[in-house]
Amino acid sequence: MKVRGVRKMELRLTDLRAGESGIITSIKAGQETGHGERRRARRGWGFRKRLEDMGLTPGTRVTVVKSAPFNGPLEVYVRGSRLALGRGMADRIFVEVKR
Amino acid sequence: MKKNKITIALAGNANVGKSVIFNRLTGLHQHIGNWPGKTVEKAEGTLHFKGYTVDVIDLPGIYSLSTFSLEELISREYIAVERPDLVINIVDASVLERNLFFTLQLLELETPMIMALNQMDIAKKKGIKIDHEKLQKLLGIPVIPTVAISGKGIYELLEKSVEVIEGKEKIKSVKARYGEEIEEKIEKIARMIKKIQFKYPARWTAIKLLEEDEEVKKEILKTNPEIVSAAEKFAREIEEIHGHSCSTVITSERYEVAGRIAREVQEITPQIKPPMRERIHALTTHRILGYPIMAISLLLIFFSIFTFGNHASSLLSDLFYGLEPIFGDIFGAGIAGKLIWGGAMEGIIAGATVALPYIVPFYFILYFLEDSGYLSRIAFLMDNLMHKIGLHGKAFIPVMLGFGCNVPGCLGCRIMETERERLLAAFVVTLVPCAATTAIILGLVGAFVGVQWALALYVVDLLIIFILGRIAFKTLPGEPTALIMEMHDYKVPHLETVLKQTWFRLQEFIKIAFPLIIVGSLVIKMAEILNLLGPIANVLSPITVTWLGLPVITGITLIFGVLRKELTLIMLATLLGTTNFAQVMSPVQMVVFTLVAMLYIPCIATIAALVREFGWKKALFITVFEIMFAILIGGIAFRLLMLV
Repeated sequence: MKVRGVRKMELRLTDLRAGESGIITSIKAGQETGHGERRRARRGWGFRKRLEDMGLTPGTRVTVVKSAPFNGPLEVYVRGSRLALGRGMADRIFVEVKR
Repeated sequence: MKKNKITIALAGNANVGKSVIFNRLTGLHQHIGNWPGKTVEKAEGTLHFKGYTVDVIDLPGIYSLSTFSLEELISREYIAVERPDLVINIVDASVLERNLFFTLQLLELETPMIMALNQMDIAKKKGIKIDHEKLQKLLGIPVIPTVAISGKGIYELLEKSVEVIEGKEKIKSVKARYGEEIEEKIEKIARMIKKIQFKYPARWTAIKLLEEDEEVKKEILKTNPEIVSAAEKFAREIEEIHGHSCSTVITSERYEVAGRIAREVQEITPQIKPPMRERIHALTTHRILGYPIMAISLLLIFFSIFTFGNHASSLLSDLFYGLEPIFGDIFGAGIAGKLIWGGAMEGIIAGATVALPYIVPFYFILYFLEDSGYLSRIAFLMDNLMHKIGLHGKAFIPVMLGFGCNVPGCLGCRIMETERERLLAAFVVTLVPCAATTAIILGLVGAFVGVQWALALYVVDLLIIFILGRIAFKTLPGEPTALIMEMHDYKVPHLETVLKQTWFRLQEFIKIAFPLIIVGSLVIKMAEILNLLGPIANVLSPITVTWLGLPVITGITLIFGVLRKELTLIMLATLLGTTNFAQVMSPVQMVVFTLVAMLYIPCIATIAALVREFGWKKALFITVFEIMFAILIGGIAFRLLMLV
């Protein structure tokens, strides 16, 4: 966890409390090329593309409504609509939150 | 010359009322099939309007035109290559921004297009007012406000479509402009593409290359690798300027444009009191209450379907068997008579007594739940559990269907995003005990061994599903995909659309399942007439008697079970000459027999569905695997149970 400024911090989307919102800073997938692992990079590309196509682009405000129990998916509110996001996906989305 | 056959494609996000508009337009003139060679459903219909025969294609509900899912690939290829005369973009007025993101991509495909601004009523209820004339001006395409459920605006939509196709109304659509540094690169690449005559529009192709679209890259690479490397270089430059990958930058900017347009045309009055649908949503996805609510709803649904199905099924089979003497009189008791009744008719009866009583209500409820929005909530709640076998929440829906009948379960796997997940889900579905399997479990083990043993069999089956699902997930090549799904607002389903969807899916089922059921039934009847059943049972006896410890005749019943599983029980009664199975089989034999019947083969209708969706090879593989597996498990169970 990186603390920047007074009370702004960068967290994973899954670390947000219910009802809290933040601005997406990055999606950690698909950028790690190197080691010639092209397949892996491709998958990351598709993964990130899919999130972005659903409106989760850097700079967007996203609100966590709640999460399903036992580490289930997250319900988030973004760009005027409601999405269900698997935890594995939400885990790689980084957001800037004011606390 | 005036052309009198025209093609219109409907495109839009999921749950925007696209299927309601499709049904409004085409009525009962529909045809449901698959896109050639793909496990993606294709709905087509025709209508007549002002002297035209209009062919309407309902494209799958999607959010983008990337290559992530088969649906997206099929849609963009259809629009760009098949070139329909017009695309109607159906938009949910209550979620404008997300919908416009897709609209902008359609516009980039440079296809003649108009927009149906649908669900205006829901938008109004949410306090959203949209200036559709302004939207029309901003996008440069005609925008018709519609309320598909009540039919409002549908006529105007058709009228406008024809006007545009006839060229009476000229369209000058606006395209999303990206940042200068990107536009300049798009232009450079587009100029190169114009020279090579690619099937997609040059600007669109250029954007896709910058977005690192796999498919487009692959195709251009074949003929002009220099264009791809130029695009890659440009993409890296953009990445350096923005600090994000080029595809991220383009997607963000496209969303920015969509958002700007949405903000410009809509006026939102915040609502004071949370409406009913929000409260229902909160309750049905509640961390604790959501689960009992789901369990009770599903149990009620299953209970009513089985009760209804049971009655309807026995009523139907009484009706059909009432015809037997008449057939006997007409065709005589010779071989022809036996083949026609025992072969063809028995096959039809087998199909009809399953299809009508169980599948019709199943489909009806499925579409009802889907349309209302509850299915996506179930997927949300079950995501975690389904992940244990490498699938995500949506897979729970075909699995749930499988408990009724494996056939709609297999077809229902189309809701999964990738081919791999479809196959994996279908494999799991074929292991789920369907209504017929349940009848065997309850009728044999439940009645003669004890309810706790019947329950134990169920638990064993669920465990097997879990273990095999996990193994399949580990062995199948490819990566799992996670859940990402829109949960649209709850709404009252449109009954007429739900009924039509049920009706056309029933037709599809009959087309898939009936021919194989009838052929299978004829083959078995032939074997019976030729007195081959006894020898076959003897051939099988090393497996049935020695390995499984069952009576010889069970070999025959298991063959009949291929047609439909409950026949194993019915045949057992016929061949043993009693329905009091306790007299002729030991409890261990009954348990082993049921276990094998439960696992050994997806019935012939399910095999047909698998063939249809995944081809012969995979269907055969699943079938053979499950037969071997059932025999293996049955034998082990027999030895273990003998110890107890």
